[in-house]
Amino acid sequence: MTAFVLKINRFTMALGIALAMSAVGVAKAEDGEYGVLMKTLANPFWGAMGQGVEDGAKEAGVKYFQQAAESDQAAEPQLNLCNTMLERKPVAMITAAINSTNLLPCLKAAQDAGVKVVDLDGNLDPAVLDKEGIKITFRIGSDNVAAGGQGAEYLVSKLGKDAKGPVLVIEGLSGNITGAKRAKGFADKLKELAPGLEIVASLPGDWDRGKAASIATDTLTAHPDLVAIFCANDGMALGAVESVYAAGKGEQVTIIGVDGNSDAVKSIKEGRLNASVAQLPYLVGKQAVENVKKALAGEKVEESIAVPTLVLTKDVLDAGKEPMLQYVK
Amino acid sequence: MASEMAQPGFWARVQRASVERLHIRLESLLVLVALSAAMALLSPFFLSLSNFLNILLATSTIGVLAIAATFVIGSGGLDLSLGSVMGLAGVAGAFVAVNLGWPSVFAVIACILAGGIAGYINGQLVTRAFVPAFIVTLGMLGLARGLALVISQGRAIYGLPAAIVYIGQGRPFGIPMPVIILVLTAIVAHCVLAYTRFGRHTLALGDSEGAARAAGIRVEHHRRIIYTLSGALAGLAGLLFTARVNAGDPTAGINYELTAITAAIIGGTNLFGGRASILGTMIGALIMGVLQNGLTLLAVQSYYQQMAIGAVLILAVFIDQYQVRKESRV
Repeated sequence: MTAFVLKINRFTMALGIALAMSAVGVAKAEDGEYGVLMKTLANPFWGAMGQGVEDGAKEAGVKYFQQAAESDQAAEPQLNLCNTMLERKPVAMITAAINSTNLLPCLKAAQDAGVKVVDLDGNLDPAVLDKEGIKITFRIGSDNVAAGGQGAEYLVSKLGKDAKGPVLVIEGLSGNITGAKRAKGFADKLKELAPGLEIVASLPGDWDRGKAASIATDTLTAHPDLVAIFCANDGMALGAVESVYAAGKGEQVTIIGVDGNSDAVKSIKEGRLNASVAQLPYLVGKQAVENVKKALAGEKVEESIAVPTLVLTKDVLDAGKEPMLQYVK
Repeated sequence: MASEMAQPGFWARVQRASVERLHIRLESLLVLVALSAAMALLSPFFLSLSNFLNILLATSTIGVLAIAATFVIGSGGLDLSLGSVMGLAGVAGAFVAVNLGWPSVFAVIACILAGGIAGYINGQLVTRAFVPAFIVTLGMLGLARGLALVISQGRAIYGLPAAIVYIGQGRPFGIPMPVIILVLTAIVAHCVLAYTRFGRHTLALGDSEGAARAAGIRVEHHRRIIYTLSGALAGLAGLLFTARVNAGDPTAGINYELTAITAAIIGGTNLFGGRASILGTMIGALIMGVLQNGLTLLAVQSYYQQMAIGAVLILAVFIDQYQVRKESRV
């Protein structure tokens, strides 16, 4: 008898757990829902973008549901998420693909089902899309080459056109297109504006704060007269800042990052990091939703939308007058 | 009470019959059915053929890895390198097809061979160097991942020939190819484990290595075969992954070994060997697949999904241990 009751109990317990887990976020599907598929929310950049999507959807009065892969390397799990999201029959899929290929089968299926596909942050390669016969509604993100260029412009505005001296570039993960574009944008612009500033090394820091710190230390040993460091993201820039200050050269070396994340803003306000080219992911998310609504209403939408970037410095932050500052999260 | 002892109840008889014939634990099947019912009640999108195929498709690579895990764990071993070996195999296949431009069949061979070699090395080290399987395969986890990054120079090798892509994206009779491959692999693996001498020896080894040795089983030789098989299956999973995403991705399969082991354990494989069932493992993999699919349909954030899978794992092992202890008491 007791054994039988225990059986029943275990069964109900299993069912109960299943139900409880499901009840966490029950949402009924509605007509005209937007599906939003992110890389991972465990990164302030994507967190801010998700926030932008949420606010944009609220303002535009549209329903959306959002999913994110567990890490920014979970390519296949993201494809599985995408396939499952299609079952809810959304009207649009706003996707930030982990790489340029992993979501292709799902995006093709979405297209065949008449779902509008949007490339958030420009991870899809136009050439590959053409080859697969996928036509996206639009891509939206920041121009990474321009962001690197803005870093160079800031440096030259600080040091002057005739400045001379060695400069270090710390790139992202080798082979990553975003980091490569930022580094190239910086190098090209610097050559054009101030040929006297010579890039003595351009090394991959793998987006890693610690690795960037070691590269900065080693380069300072080789080039004690280093005048500037450009890093492809803020995390690495903050690592480099620590090395430069530890070497007692905080005043001598200008350090520039890219992203404009909250840690960087804090460091700039404290007068340690010199500048960060802010990507405004919040604005990217918000404008993505707004433009999808337009496209669904039959209005014409640019195929490629570049969200502006903003150079954050202590002066800009202290003055607080720049209207785009409200989007720095 | 006394009468119950003398005459086993209906439930116990059903269970014994099912365990003997299909080698599964009834509880895991019940959890799967209950979970599916709950999802069907909660989401209008759950019960459809296309969603059912989606679940199977999403389970395919993990399912193949879980079959590998079932053999290894059933024999009292452990393979933590499954996910990394899968990544290496996929890169090897893509390298052969894209960078060398060889015919597709060589890419398929490269995947399975790369996995098999990694598994063979695991087996040699475990049986000849007396390094614990945990350490050997943990080392291989790093080695294989590193090698995958070296071969691919850190970036995905994109653009596989159509024949390979068909393995991942083709749909003969409307059924995704990876699903067909998973089902065939599972049937073969089930027959091998349940009905052949190789299968019986595998479980005997996991039950008691000493007894297996005394019974004349060539323990070391058998272990090497099992690790090689495990690697080759990881290679097959790598092929499926690569074909699905049309790229040899060096970061493919990170943490997949843990999911695969979880599927096997939920399905009733004893973590310490001696008891394993492929059908059970498939049910375990499907439980996770249904959970993930249903929660995604309900727009539950992925963080909660990970919590749910963790909870199901603990629940499954709890039920299992409860059962085992009750049996040993009788």
